[in-house]
Amino acid sequence: MGSKQISTFRKWILSSPPAEWALNQLRELLIGAIKHGKVPRHVAFVMDGNRRYARTHRIETVEGHNLGFEALARILEVCYKSGVHTVTIYAFSIENFKRSKHEVDALMDMAKIKLTQLSQHGELLDRYGASIRILGQRSLMKPDVLEAMDRACSMTEHNDKTVLNVCFPYTSRDEITTAVRRTVQEYARPVPQPQPGHERRTPFTEERIKNTLRSQHKNEQDSNEHMKDIEPTAFHSPSSSSTSLASEASAQSDTPPDQQHDLVQEAEAEAEADASSVSSSSTTLPPEVLSSSSSPPTSYTGSPTPKPLSSLAKPPLSQPQYKNFEDISSATINSHLFTASDPPLDLLIRTSGVERLSDFMLWQCHEHTRIVFLNVLWPEFDLWQFLPVLWEWQWRARKEEQMGRLLMGQEVKVD
Amino acid sequence: MPFNQDDTRFYRQDVDSRGQTMSVDERRELLERYLPRPSELRSSSAREQVRDQKRKQRRSRRLRPYLKQRLHLAIYLIIQLLFGIFIRVRQIVSALFQKFIAVRHYHHRTPAYIQKDLKGLSRLPEHLSVILRYDARSDDGLETLLDDVAELAAWSTAAGIPLLSVYEKTGVLKQYMSAVQEIVQQKLVLYFGAPPSTPVLQVFAPNYPSLSPLPSPQINGTTNTNLNLSLLLLSESDGRETLVDLTRTLTEMAQAQKLRPKDITVDLIDTEISASTSVPAPSNNAQRTNGHKKTNGVKHDDTYLPSEPDLLIVFAPVIKLDGYPPWQIRLTEIFCVGDSGGDVSGRSRTRVEYQGFLRALWNYAGAEFRFGS
Repeated sequence: MGSKQISTFRKWILSSPPAEWALNQLRELLIGAIKHGKVPRHVAFVMDGNRRYARTHRIETVEGHNLGFEALARILEVCYKSGVHTVTIYAFSIENFKRSKHEVDALMDMAKIKLTQLSQHGELLDRYGASIRILGQRSLMKPDVLEAMDRACSMTEHNDKTVLNVCFPYTSRDEITTAVRRTVQEYARPVPQPQPGHERRTPFTEERIKNTLRSQHKNEQDSNEHMKDIEPTAFHSPSSSSTSLASEASAQSDTPPDQQHDLVQEAEAEAEADASSVSSSSTTLPPEVLSSSSSPPTSYTGSPTPKPLSSLAKPPLSQPQYKNFEDISSATINSHLFTASDPPLDLLIRTSGVERLSDFMLWQCHEHTRIVFLNVLWPEFDLWQFLPVLWEWQWRARKEEQMGRLLMGQEVKVD
Repeated sequence: MPFNQDDTRFYRQDVDSRGQTMSVDERRELLERYLPRPSELRSSSAREQVRDQKRKQRRSRRLRPYLKQRLHLAIYLIIQLLFGIFIRVRQIVSALFQKFIAVRHYHHRTPAYIQKDLKGLSRLPEHLSVILRYDARSDDGLETLLDDVAELAAWSTAAGIPLLSVYEKTGVLKQYMSAVQEIVQQKLVLYFGAPPSTPVLQVFAPNYPSLSPLPSPQINGTTNTNLNLSLLLLSESDGRETLVDLTRTLTEMAQAQKLRPKDITVDLIDTEISASTSVPAPSNNAQRTNGHKKTNGVKHDDTYLPSEPDLLIVFAPVIKLDGYPPWQIRLTEIFCVGDSGGDVSGRSRTRVEYQGFLRALWNYAGAEFRFGS
């Protein structure tokens, strides 16, 4: 089987019961001490170095991966005992499909067995509130692995005390693309129109509000000759269409209705003629915007006419309404990522000395995440290499806090 | 805690037989011996636990966990103290090491020395990127920043790197683009001599009109050097905001039925994003055929310089990307100049020094490359 042991004598000493007990006590002590400081809420690991370890220790690559799994278990234990909420691991990249079929199959096999075993320990997981989530491009997986994945995930969905995100198979660019695609899909879905009979039921009626407004304005006008007349038509409530269209409505409703009709037809013509350019946003806004001068919501059924009820005879152009794309912000894209419900990434650790991100968590880690590259191979990664990273993180967090307080104190003094 | 010897052997036997050796109950028993009690994990912070313990402290039965809490707190403080000392020591050692390198390899403003320092490297980045920080609070923050950019530009040109992109979070460099160009040109003259032997400099920034190269005082305006440098200025708005803009444009197109959501692929976004920060290759492009092998397998158009940086140097004690455009750094080697004391919290500026630049390039040449497989 090859040698998995560093040196027989040393290993023998270390595995004798008193030494083991002492080491375990030390571990517990150190982990307990960590909890008194600030602990990162979300940690990510790139588990690199299994194959190199297997090569240098002359064992099979698959054995290297198994040892890697043991190292993962150790590190997870340290993390969760220290109070980390979410751990994300990079298990398999979409690029790794290029490896030899034997290795890929062995990895898939391992994943399937581990996930199946995990699903057999449901109440153990429930006891600790642990949940496991699989992030990645599901369409590239074989159905039997997918089934094990789904079973494990659905069993632990309801837990939220600690989360393990397994990225399998995953590429950050793919994740960002999926998030963009989902955002576009959401915004390209037409907002459901209100039915003519089902108006929003509210004790307040538009007519009464409009009358009050009109009398208010009359009073203001009487008292102040110079104030410009504000048309009551500017205050039309947009009923149940999206609120952003109302701002367009108030801008456009100064024109009298028949001019609006012409504008509508112009806009329609423009929208049809405008095949290639997407520059001006006004041409893609549906023409109902201009029709808000009429109060009954019947005009929003899709027909572009601004004239009330009498002109329903006109064939509806059925231009659906959409949410305003200007509302898209980085928070929107964030909410469509696989890690949407996780706290922001605090610490990213990559082992085996490689100093690249390799398409992992690019969107999540490019702001305030501390990135650490360690020179140890993943199967050898243990508490003793991980603790100094945590200590340093805590130390810098404390210093930054102190610095922040100092700066605020200075600024207050200056002011 | 990790399994003891016998349990490890048993577990590995089980793994080798693909999970057939142990039954579910056996496995659960094995695990339960090592799992902590749920109450230990329940409260997230130790302070809460201490508070809980204090409330129940009256009974002597709870004394042991309470003492344990106290012990942990004491150990935490001791560790933080010792670790603080360790960090200081490390900073001193690292500062000494850097000074040693700085003394041994100084550029003396001569490109020949720089090239000697970089001789024999197996590969050089074609697109070098750096993260700088602008210290708005100090009086000469902008001056030092501009000087740093100029120095980096001179070193990169001497090293034969065609594209240098400078990321600075607040974007102050973009506002002073013409000043940047002037100062960098002066520095290049200082290093390489008066025109016509000065390298050709072009300054770019995404969404800003590119500045034409400064007119050389020669009558015929030609240069007899084939060195050139394209300088690209980046800021925070080229990061997430660019992706958000792209999403908005795609949404607009989808709403106008010009695009189906499933047409959005990685390649589409990649093309768009690289186009937004693309820099056209200069006409006298002799440097690009200098025998350094192409590192990543990304094929790019030869009329444009590569939009993905090969090497990213962070001039700060720790690696924090601070808003650097996320899409392009997929395969970029990231190098941190190291902590040499002075700015512990990373808030003030780290000096840009030649030895940092050298160490980054040496590290890059020594790095192995393994693309996925």
